[in-house]
Amino acid sequence: MMQTNIDVKNTPKIHVQKDFLVVEQLSLQLENNPILNNISFSLPITGITTLIGPSGAGKSSLLRCLNMLYSTWGGEITIDKTSIKQWQAGEDNLRKFIGLIAQKPAIFPASIAENVTFGLPRKQRKQDTTTLIHDCLIQAALWDEVKDRLNQPAVSLSIGQQQRLCLARALALQPSILLLDEPTASLDPRSKQLIEISLRRLAKNMPILCVTHDLEQAKRLQGQLIFMCDGKIIETGESQELLQNPQKLETREFLRWEVCDCD
Amino acid sequence: MLMLRPSMLASFVWLGCLTAAFSIAVLLWFLWDNAWLFFQQFGIQTLWLDEWYPYENLYGFLPAITGTAWALLIALLIAIPCGLAAAIVSSEIVSSTWQAWIRLSMEVLAGIPSVVYGLIGLWLLLPLLQSQLNLLTGHSLLAAGLILSLMILPTIMLMAQDALQGVAPEQREAAKLLGLNWNQQLLRILLPQAWPGIRSGILLAVGRGLGETMAVMLVVGSLDRMPQPFYNILEPAQTLTSRIGREMGEAAFGSLHFSALMACGLILAIVAVFFSFSAQKMRPST
Repeated sequence: MMQTNIDVKNTPKIHVQKDFLVVEQLSLQLENNPILNNISFSLPITGITTLIGPSGAGKSSLLRCLNMLYSTWGGEITIDKTSIKQWQAGEDNLRKFIGLIAQKPAIFPASIAENVTFGLPRKQRKQDTTTLIHDCLIQAALWDEVKDRLNQPAVSLSIGQQQRLCLARALALQPSILLLDEPTASLDPRSKQLIEISLRRLAKNMPILCVTHDLEQAKRLQGQLIFMCDGKIIETGESQELLQNPQKLETREFLRWEVCDCD
Repeated sequence: MLMLRPSMLASFVWLGCLTAAFSIAVLLWFLWDNAWLFFQQFGIQTLWLDEWYPYENLYGFLPAITGTAWALLIALLIAIPCGLAAAIVSSEIVSSTWQAWIRLSMEVLAGIPSVVYGLIGLWLLLPLLQSQLNLLTGHSLLAAGLILSLMILPTIMLMAQDALQGVAPEQREAAKLLGLNWNQQLLRILLPQAWPGIRSGILLAVGRGLGETMAVMLVVGSLDRMPQPFYNILEPAQTLTSRIGREMGEAAFGSLHFSALMACGLILAIVAVFFSFSAQKMRPST
């Protein structure tokens, strides 16, 4: 199980509970501009939660707050009742615990194998990492495509493959929570499908929060769906249900591809 | 507004490139032509002789080559870590206001004429070395190296800063997302990725250090003999540039002495061109 195998020094012990990650009244201002406004939601211990909303709704900012890339937020974010601001092992360690995959894949100028193990401590990198690399690439649905060229430069991969490599790299750290910021935004349908398959598989063992603009994808990923607009959560519900019968006007307007006016 | 056709622009670029290449070729040919008399009489083995006394036709290059190498080595040993540290502080640690001030001060440092550095060395550094290290005059390879380090520091720092700032923000963020701390980000992402630019800066600094004449001439002591022992950097010594600068006025045009000094120039030019080309070749593609 992903959340029980964390091999990171000083990581606090996690006791499984229903709401694994809880966000309460989260607010964020950047350069005096309100970005997030009283956001509250929780992620269950397993399963995918999809975050949708128009551009500028604050979805990416929310992910950045969750793993402390933004740290000036107000409110509370807790993991198993431990505030992430009080995370004993520090912010760097928290980021190993909460994996975040950005929209644009950033591949390091190294081999495919080295990219997978890049975030591991030096001691662990010096050991035999063959099994770990294999497992992570399998989970990221990339193994079959790269198994014969693990020592080749990772920059030679296509964007879709690079995105899956980023997923494998994050998984190598054995995170307990996975955050994805539009992971399939610039991918072809085949790569999109492969990532969705691996996400559904991973979601059996960990909570995943996935930002997407693709409503069809939100439907396919199933699970919980959160609709955000203007830094606020407008509506939450089971994805199929919410997409078919939105209760709030703003959600209905967004689903009809109209501009959201939350005020 | 002046509009240039692409073909015209390309012609101008080609013209500039050809002029530069032609200038280098002419320079090297001029030096070779004038040094030919010397090499014809003494051959290349004279590079390894250690006595330079033109009035008795002794033209050993070894003391000046050794002096040049020592001064440059001392300068690099000081300037590389200092320049790199300044670049890291400037690009990664301080606020943008401080960053601008540090950069400006380095650019000012780079623009100061070399004779001013020489005068500073003459009036500040030499008395200091004389009193602190009990030297006869303070003129020494150490003084030359110290002054030279100050002169090449801006080149290394500015190039390193540009290289560090050239690392893509996505790479920094990706490293952060993997939980790497600041030290790890610096050592595993920033420095390796900026290294081609840093290396290029070091090679350019070597080129500048090799060619520096006036400041070095004022503090090195211009003593044409090998340091005893060879690693004694506290003795007055000679460098190729300071030899040319000091003796060119005394050498009759077309004489063997003149030709020997041209040979010094040729050696310097070849090494400097080599380093400049290496730096160019190693410059990171953008």
